[in-house]
Amino acid sequence: MLWLKTIGICLTIAGFGIWGLGGARHFSRRVTQLKDLRLALGFLEKEIIYMHTPLTRALERTARFAHPPVNQLFREASRHLHSKEGATAQEAWLIGLKKLAQTGDLDKKELAVLEAVAPQLGMSDADQQGKFVRLIQEELKLMEDQAAREVEAGQKIWSYGGFILGAVVVLLLL
Amino acid sequence: MVVPQATVLRTEITAYLAPNIRKLLLGVEDRLLGNLEEIRLRCNRPLVLRVGDKDYSIDRHGRVMTDLKQGYLVSREDLYRSIASISDNSLYAFEEEIRRGFITIPGGHRVGLAGQVVVSGQEVRTMKDFSGLCFRVAREVPDCALGLLNQVAPRGTPLSSLIISPPRCGKTTILRDLARLLSDGNGPVPPHNVVVVDERSEIAGCYQGIPQLNVGVRTDVLDACPKALGMMMAIRSLSPQIIITDEVGRREDVEAIDECLHAGITVIASIHARNAEELRARPPIRKLLDEGAFRRGIILSRQPHPGRIEEVIRWDESCCG
Repeated sequence: MLWLKTIGICLTIAGFGIWGLGGARHFSRRVTQLKDLRLALGFLEKEIIYMHTPLTRALERTARFAHPPVNQLFREASRHLHSKEGATAQEAWLIGLKKLAQTGDLDKKELAVLEAVAPQLGMSDADQQGKFVRLIQEELKLMEDQAAREVEAGQKIWSYGGFILGAVVVLLLL
Repeated sequence: MVVPQATVLRTEITAYLAPNIRKLLLGVEDRLLGNLEEIRLRCNRPLVLRVGDKDYSIDRHGRVMTDLKQGYLVSREDLYRSIASISDNSLYAFEEEIRRGFITIPGGHRVGLAGQVVVSGQEVRTMKDFSGLCFRVAREVPDCALGLLNQVAPRGTPLSSLIISPPRCGKTTILRDLARLLSDGNGPVPPHNVVVVDERSEIAGCYQGIPQLNVGVRTDVLDACPKALGMMMAIRSLSPQIIITDEVGRREDVEAIDECLHAGITVIASIHARNAEELRARPPIRKLLDEGAFRRGIILSRQPHPGRIEEVIRWDESCCG
């Protein structure tokens, strides 16, 4: 019976530990995704300002340039616009953002910044589009720096916390 | 029977309208839609369809009526969605078109823009806060210039000519068909190399540089190109026998026409005027006429239908031009 208990204890602690490690990885993934987003927006900005590429195609090209899961934002938005069912860029961007929120690691306030892109996207001249996209990139850079500072502490809390929580649960069960 | 123009309109134009307005238009009977000239969307005002000389509107239930006040009120959202659709959600890609005040959509139909104009110095920088859209249906009337051909090209030789009329009398439609007939050749008229200098993208209705309307197999189009500049470019690089252009009148146009004529090129152009007297009241044009630059003048009217030939002036046969 003791061996069964020992296996149970190990499995509980390992389970919570893995859960904690997953949570810890969220912090570094968030930083990476913010950086990817910033770079992707830079790519989109160039497509708009220098190439004057229509938005549907510009989003599609940005999706090809960006890494997952950030590329889903651009891919979904482009796909929605491509369907030509009277959708506006605003609606398409919000749909893409919803997809990113489901699969990515971004916080609510970071998603809120990206939401602010929606009403402006495509609906002004290239100068204005450039200024706006750069502003969003700067916001994302600040958030990326903030997220990078939170990585170490956050990772420690989650990775140790997972194992400690597992141990506590074991103690309580015993 | 389905009127072909109505089918074209359903497929080409309605795709660029806001869904609410699209739905209303798709319910309109073909007879009316087939003769539609303009669709006007003005913010918080009724949707207006211009058919011939009459204005119609459509109410929420899709009923067509002449009392515009009962018509469907166009909302800001309808305008926004229509503009988004016309520009493929990319106004930045249409900066030049917006500066010129219109965007051409596939099929050669033109969408005129109204809104707040941003001016920098003496030039229009852009337009914002759009308040109105005017969809002008591009209409081809094949062979409408056939009756003119023996005047413009007697014995098969094209003569420099002016098509004269007030607005909305069919000048552009006639010019387009003349371009086609002279380019393809017709009866005693052999085929010619034609260049259309289409400053306002109305004659050939180019979309992304490709003519959407039939201007003939031997016709090159300089789309959205200022007339004077385009005529000089054509002389240098396209070796035209005939240059066709719309609405001449500025001093630089006259100078360019002079250059073309001295280069042995036939120029066929349209100009706004009601009659020969009005035409001669414009000093640059008077100078051209006095020099014998144009041999024929064709005055058009709208009654009983656009494009009706009111008078043909033979300047080459009169002593005083």
